[in-house]
Amino acid sequence: MDFVVLKEYLPLFAKAMILTLKIGWMGIAFAILIGLFSAMIKHLGVPFLRYVVSVYIELFRNTPLLVQLFFLYFGLPKIGIDIDAEFCGVLGLALLGGAYMAEAFRSGFEAIEPIQMESALSLGMNHFQAMGHVILPQAVSISTPAFVANIIFLLKETSVFSAISLMDLMFTAKDLIGSYYKTTESLALLVIFYLVILLPVSIVGSIVERRVRYASFGD
Amino acid sequence: MMNKVVKKLTAFGLVAVAALGLMACGSANAASGDSESGSSASNNGYRTLDEIKEDGTINIGVFSDKAPFGYVDENGEYTGYDVYFANRLAEDLGVDVNFVSTEAASRVEYLQTGKVDIILANFTVTDERAEQVDFALPYMNVALGVVSHEDNVITDLDQIGEDDQVIVISGTTAETYLTENYPEIQLQKFDTYAAAKSAFENGTGVAWANDNTEVIAFANENEGYTVGIESLGDTDTIAAAVTKGNDTLLQWINEEIESLASENFFHKDYEETLLDTYGADYEETLVVEGGKVAE
Repeated sequence: MDFVVLKEYLPLFAKAMILTLKIGWMGIAFAILIGLFSAMIKHLGVPFLRYVVSVYIELFRNTPLLVQLFFLYFGLPKIGIDIDAEFCGVLGLALLGGAYMAEAFRSGFEAIEPIQMESALSLGMNHFQAMGHVILPQAVSISTPAFVANIIFLLKETSVFSAISLMDLMFTAKDLIGSYYKTTESLALLVIFYLVILLPVSIVGSIVERRVRYASFGD
Repeated sequence: MMNKVVKKLTAFGLVAVAALGLMACGSANAASGDSESGSSASNNGYRTLDEIKEDGTINIGVFSDKAPFGYVDENGEYTGYDVYFANRLAEDLGVDVNFVSTEAASRVEYLQTGKVDIILANFTVTDERAEQVDFALPYMNVALGVVSHEDNVITDLDQIGEDDQVIVISGTTAETYLTENYPEIQLQKFDTYAAAKSAFENGTGVAWANDNTEVIAFANENEGYTVGIESLGDTDTIAAAVTKGNDTLLQWINEEIESLASENFFHKDYEETLLDTYGADYEETLVVEGGKVAE
């Protein structure tokens, strides 16, 4: 292991980490929104839209992110829609993540007995109030573990972005190996930087999981 | 609560240390030449000439997406200038050939881990690479070239603006050359030829820098592109590469290249595989016969 090389590569990896985080967090934020809306549409059984949502979830859960990115980046320009690589990355991650998040939230919604909704309605709440004050907080609390697992999964999925020329951590390592053949150093930095990103998410995630579970009913 | 967090942190720390430890073992193994695919590599990380003969199959790393040098044709067969040579090597060695598809950036790795015996993937000879692998005698000349869109032909790299992007493939000599000599040019890097091609066709980047053979072929085969710069930097050679220290195999390849000169093998190779793309004009510029570069 050559420490001079490690030091020299450090700024390049730091730059790549910023890109990974930027795309990762934007993608995840949109994924959460898409997931929450999709799960609510399915849970409330909104006519027509529920079928659209089902097709979307199955389509994106059952195709690899790499294929989705290829489609967005290389396929769409052929029909005249030109989007840049970073936007593709965010969009791909949001759509893939949205499908996974929808399933996580759905499990939360399903765990809540229908009688709670009925009780809330009989107490004079309208549908929105019942959703906002009774169902949603519990559903989110129940789905938190799956939700944290999804965030970690999505951040790791960013490693396929090299396919669409984004200089993320993985591509930076591959590029440096291909140009200067310092394999051990590049791979060591790659592992370290992924741990730097993901360990805090894991730790914060497990703390949050414990906190929100206080809200659960009957434990 | 706090205690639990501390415990968790310790656990994570241990995992991290374990991961690094594993990695260190991995690199130590690689250094001592112990490859994952134990059956295909000897204790030196490569197979000697005799070991390959004994096994009956030689593993050769080629491109699968770089026409007309190494690509898979419509019948699913590997073909091209490099592959033609690879097939002849296997034939004269009396063994079957197993083609392994490689990417530009992983060519050295494939040799160092013993996953292939020879790399015949349009591998340009450079000093950095020669420190990592052993090159045989050259069989082709190459320089860098730049292809651009017909309506905005780049004939000089100074024409490239601040916001313009130039496509390169990760791990190629074009990438290294531009990074070192034109650090102000923004590079859009792709990891495969296929991806770079698609992106360029979709209008990404004002130009694509690569081996001139590749960009000339691209412009000839696709409408709307012009090679504005035919030769950039020094002329280099392309050669087969073997794992560092695999002298028996290297020597055999060199002897083979020298003896093939008597039948003008590489000219025949050119006529079989490259003539359609480049025409007869480039034959003498590109072909290196018998390992001797004409000056």
